[in-house]
Parts: sequence; structure tokens; C-alpha cells
Amino acid sequence: MSLNFDKVSLSLNGRVLVPPFSAVVAPGEVLAVMGASGSGKSSLLAWMAGLLAPPLQASGGLSLDGRDLLPLPTEQRRVGLLFQDDLLYPHMSVLDNLLFALPAGPYAQRSALADQALARAGLSGFGDRRPDSLSGGQRARVSLLRALLAGPRAIGLDEPFSKLDVNLRQQMREFVWAELRANQVCGVLVTHDQADVPPGARVVELPALGTAVDLA
Amino acid sequence: MHRGSSRWSASGCAATAPDLSAARSPVAASVRAARAVALLGIAAVFALPLLAALPLALAEAASLAAWRELLNDTRLPGALGLSVFSASLSTLLALALALWLATGLMGSRHWPRLAARLGPMLALPHAAFAIGLAWLVAPAGWLTRLLAPLTGWDAPPPWVTVNDPQALTLSLVLVLKELPFLLWNIVALFARDEVAQSLRRQIAGARTLGYTPRSWWWRVGWTGWLPRLAWPLLAVFAYGLTVVDVALIIGPGSPPTLAVMAYAALTDASVERNAVGAAAAVLLTLLLAALSGAAWLAAKALARLWRRRALRGDRPGVTRATGRVVLPLFGAVTAVYATVALALLVLSVAGVWRFPAWLPQVLSLEAWQQVRGSASTVFFTAALALAAAASALVLCVAWLESAPLGWDRRVTPLVLLPLVLPQLLLMVGVYRGALSLGLDGTRAGLFWAHLLMCLPYVFIALAPAWRSFDHRLAWTALSLGRGRWAFWWRVKWPLLAAPLASALAIGIAVSVAQYLSTQFLSGGRLPTVTTEAVTLASGGQRTVAAAFAVLQALIPLLAFAGAHAVARRLHHNRQP
Repeated sequence: MSLNFDKVSLSLNGRVLVPPFSAVVAPGEVLAVMGASGSGKSSLLAWMAGLLAPPLQASGGLSLDGRDLLPLPTEQRRVGLLFQDDLLYPHMSVLDNLLFALPAGPYAQRSALADQALARAGLSGFGDRRPDSLSGGQRARVSLLRALLAGPRAIGLDEPFSKLDVNLRQQMREFVWAELRANQVCGVLVTHDQADVPPGARVVELPALGTAVDLA
Repeated sequence: MHRGSSRWSASGCAATAPDLSAARSPVAASVRAARAVALLGIAAVFALPLLAALPLALAEAASLAAWRELLNDTRLPGALGLSVFSASLSTLLALALALWLATGLMGSRHWPRLAARLGPMLALPHAAFAIGLAWLVAPAGWLTRLLAPLTGWDAPPPWVTVNDPQALTLSLVLVLKELPFLLWNIVALFARDEVAQSLRRQIAGARTLGYTPRSWWWRVGWTGWLPRLAWPLLAVFAYGLTVVDVALIIGPGSPPTLAVMAYAALTDASVERNAVGAAAAVLLTLLLAALSGAAWLAAKALARLWRRRALRGDRPGVTRATGRVVLPLFGAVTAVYATVALALLVLSVAGVWRFPAWLPQVLSLEAWQQVRGSASTVFFTAALALAAAASALVLCVAWLESAPLGWDRRVTPLVLLPLVLPQLLLMVGVYRGALSLGLDGTRAGLFWAHLLMCLPYVFIALAPAWRSFDHRLAWTALSLGRGRWAFWWRVKWPLLAAPLASALAIGIAVSVAQYLSTQFLSGGRLPTVTTEAVTLASGGQRTVAAAFAVLQALIPLLAFAGAHAVARRLHHNRQP
């Protein structure tokens, strides 16, 4: 039960952005991919979710819980993504944003799950609010809850703390790592900030773009 | 729905602007004077007449006898029903088709192609389209001729397809003509780079939650974006409810739609009948307000019902079926437009054309000779359109250049008024105003009425380009010691030439398509290709009507082709 990267590499028009690497991420654990901006680390997450667009190209294997992910469309991969922007739907309440993500089931049960999640995030009673009326830190937490309530087996985190106030960051980091452990989700974090990396996480360092190896 | 829509709304571009406006450099007295002149000019030509037209129209209808006569008219219930039915049906169908097409094609490589086809579709005036479509669906038209070999018809089937008493053909024309307009609005909604990018990320995010883009659109996307289509939808509904020229060509005759009834009474020689017509125009306006309000409430109630369904959390499977249906659907719409254009051309040169032949046996230039005989009408139409559109453009540019930042947003409802008010009502008032100024039946009066109708469209076409113009370019020019005029001619004008050209083309298309305003203000003395085409078509003179319809379509098409050429040339020049 894990996320397996097998000799994964990423290239753009023949230039290697991400040299081949292999890694195993266990449920609740985090793989940190470090690199400067433009080093292709966001594209790595897009590839993981099945959203990589040409001219970017990837090679290597990716499996989750023993399922080969590469032939599957994004919708069926059970790989969530968390962006810098919260991407909450502004015309829907916080609760409705979470209900949209929850799998089908009896309404009472689903709204109870959403309420519990909000309580964990210290947002009890915020269900009826609009995302616009929340602070940036609160929105970031709702966004994480939404991604996790959809029941992903792995989640890609694209610099999820960079837009937060410095004093909020540490709090949010601890919340995210605790949620990943509690939900037993494999995490892949891309960041340029060493402080984002949780203790004990495996780290893959990407070369800066200027020093990328030419394939040709 | 209301509160939350603010972030989806265009306020995004307002958010980037204020810091710039606050730092505007001190303004010279001469610039301030020019500003005052521009604002006063616009008020005098556009805003005041518009605001004065309403009380004038209401005064005309303020006659108890007229209302009694209208309400006692036995045709009224039927006419009312036809108007409401055709306007509601066509608006709902056009909206459903537009959303369906957008859902299926947005983000695909077909979407830019669809967007490119909308221009020519919009340029084809309603009346010309109706004349061409009438020939397609008429009992002796192309469709039955196409089927004749299979069915063995040797005479046209005894169907009533054109001017049918249920107004179905009228509704069909409205659906087909409003669909490109709604699609064009949807394209415009997502045209700005940052909006398109945020949309792509929203959809990518929804896919990682397990939803297909299609299910995201129906469950979440459209409920957020539909309020932004409220204005265009209102314009579509108002148009359908109050349209006269198309209804004269292809609509029901007895009873006609309420708008046609009002129009007939307004153009009657007797003053009493005119008052009845004005009362009918007021009734149409009340109807429009009541129905729009009801539709708004119904939409809100539906959204609440829809919420349960949309948020129940099931994930529909990935299907390719939509693409397979949606693409041919738009292909079919394009084909109808192409066939209508072809029908107009063939019909205009048809001499002898016996049923069930697919093409005329004898070609004839008689219709075109008749058109040549009234060449002055063609030139007058083009000159009027150019003058009205160019003046509207100058006024809009003057306004956008001189109005304090943010004002353009505040005046938007006033500018949009001519689009959502029944033109009948507006023209009753404008005609009254022109009469009291001695402008009725004059070229000046006609020009002014066309200007009133062109200006909103030109403004809508132009304003986004002005709003998104990077003010820092002006600062750099000023800080380099160049004057405002130098900046305008050397930097701003070339950068905005493409939107200016397309706004001019839109203005020309709007002016050429004017029927009601032309009939009212010219008193029938100053014909344009549009009034000729409508009159001939409703009189059953197909070939000459088709020839005029070709010209009616040709003038705006040439204008759009010109605008396209300007844009291409600029684009070409900017390539390294």
C-alpha cells in the first residue's frame, strides 16, 4: 500500500527538467521535491494527476496501491492536488464546497462528515459562510479538507504554504501533516522552502534549470 | 448566489485598477475642459434623449380610451400568448443549446474555431436570416424540394410553415439567431487570460476530486457563471418579446404577435390608433418586466432545488458521447447559416423556378436591376451606418478617455437600457422627441436614432479593451517627457486599433439592421435596404426581397472583414 515512482523523469523539448528518480511513499508519509521555480516540480505533480500537457514529456512508471496509474484518466486516479490558490467555489458555502467533494451517500452522514472535518480544522460553525468571508489561512484549511474528503489515496501539494502569512505557515504545516497521517494518504510536496519539509521526509532535490542536462 | 458571485464577476479587473487611478498625474486645465465637453456632449446626444424618451412614450399611452380599446381587442389574448410563447421558448432553447455547446467544446481545440465562426453569424441581420430561412422551410422551399424525389410530391405540400399561427418558425429563427449571440457572450466571459487560466485550474481541481469537466460544469460551474449571463439573456428575451421585422416576415398573421399589433397601430394614420399602439408598447414593457422578474425568482428556486442534486457526490463516468453529439450540432447550425446565405443568393437571381426543381430553370437579373434602380437606397444605408457607427465610436472613446475611472461601470445600466427596453416603446418616445424638434422624416433625426441604438453595442465592444489597457504605458510615456497626444497617437491608438475597428464594424452592423427606428424616424420617406427587404418580404416579393437581404448582409460582412484585416495586419506587424 504505497505510491511508487519508478525511474520517473520529466523533459521539455528534449531538455531534462527532472532527472530519473525512484521513490516509495508510504501512506501518511511525505516525499518532498525541492527545486527552484521553473525546475519542473509543479509539472511533476500535474503528471502524477494525469494533467501534464505537451510539450512536457514524462517517462517512468507510477503506481498507487499496486494499481498502475498511467493509463487512468485524472478522474479515476484518486490523486488529489492542492494548489497555492484555494480554488474554493466562491458562489457556494463552505459546507457545499465540502459536500461537492464527499463521495455519494446518505445526506445526513455526509454533512456530519463535513462538520467533523471542519471541527478538526477549528472551523466549527463556518459551514454556512462563503469562502470570501474567510481569512486566507481558513480558506487554505477548507481547501485541504475538500481535497481529503474526496477520499484520495495520494495527494500532490504545490507550494501550499507560500501564499500564507509567515506566522500562519507553521500552524498550517502541522495541520496538513496531521491530516495526511490521520487519513493515511501518501503526500508529495513540491517546494523551494526547506522549512516546508516535514521532519523525517524523504527529499528529492531537482537541479536548477540552468544546469539541466541536455539529452541530445 | 448573489453575494458569492462577486469574485466571479469582472471585479477582478477593477481590483488591479484602483492603485493606478489613485496615482494619476495632475491634470492640465485644457484636458479638464476637453473632458467636460466630452461628458456634456455624450449627455446631450445619448443620455438625455434616452431618459426623455420614456416619459414621452408613457404620455402618448396615457389615454384611458386607448387602453380600453386595446383590452377590448379580441386579438389581444392570442397575440399576448404568441409573444410570450415564442420569446420564452426561443430564449430557453437558445440558452440550453449555448450551455450545452460550451460545456462540450470549451477547452477543446474546437472552441477557438467555434468562436471564429460567431462573427459572420452575428453579422447576418435578423431580417435577412428570416427571409432566407423562410425560403428553406416554405412549402415550396428548398427542404420540400429536397424531399420531393422521395415523397413523390409534384406540388408543394399543403403545409403552413411560414407565418404559422403557432409562431414556431418565428421561434426557430429567434433560437438560431440568438444562439451565436449567447455563445459570443460566453466566449467573451472567459476570454481574459487570467479568467481562462483560473477556469482551467478549477476544472483540473475538479478532475482530481473525481469529476469529469462536463459534470463539473453542470453541477458547479454554470451555477456560478450564469448570473453573469443575466444581461445578455435579458436582452435576448426582450428582443424576442418585442421584435417586429422578423415577426412581419415569418411570424403569425392573425392574430400577430403583440409587438406587430402595436407596430401596426403605431403606424396607423389615425391618432387614436397611435395611442392604442403606444398602450400596447407599454403593455409589452410591463410584460417584459413581470416575466423577467418571475424568471429571476424561478431561477433562484431552481438553483436551490438543483443544489441537492448537484452536491450528492456521485461521480458520473467518463464518456465521449457529448463530443460526438455537440460537434455535429454546431456543424448543423453553421450549415443552416451557410444554406440561408446560399438561398438568398440563388433566390435573388431566380427567374422561373418550378416545383420540385432544386435550382431555378431560368436565371434572371430582374431583382438586381430593381435594386440598381434604387442604388441611392444602398448608398444611403451604408453612409448612414458609417456615420452613426463612427459617431458612436467617437463618443465612446471620448467617454472612456475622459470619464473618471470607475464611472464606466456605474453608467453601464444606462448604456444597456436600449438593449433591454422594448425598442417599440423607446422609439415611440424618440419619435415624439424628434417631432417636437422638427427632426421627424429628416436624415438628421434618422442618424440620431441610429446613433442611439449603435452606441450601447459599440460601448460594450470597446469598454473591455479600455479597461484592460495597461496604464503604466501612459506613465512611461509621460515620464519620458512625451505629451498626452503623442502618447495617444504613437502608443494607445496602435495598440487599440483592433478593438476600435471591430467596435466600428459592430456599430455598422447594428445600424444596417435597424428596422423599427428607421420606419419611425423616417416616416417611410427614407428607405434603407432593411426596410425595403422587410416590406418586400412581408409583401411576398421573394426575389427582390432576397436581393435586398443579400445587401443587408453584405454591408456588415464587409465591415467585419475590414476589422479583421486591421487586426491581422497589426498582429502581423507585431511578430518579430
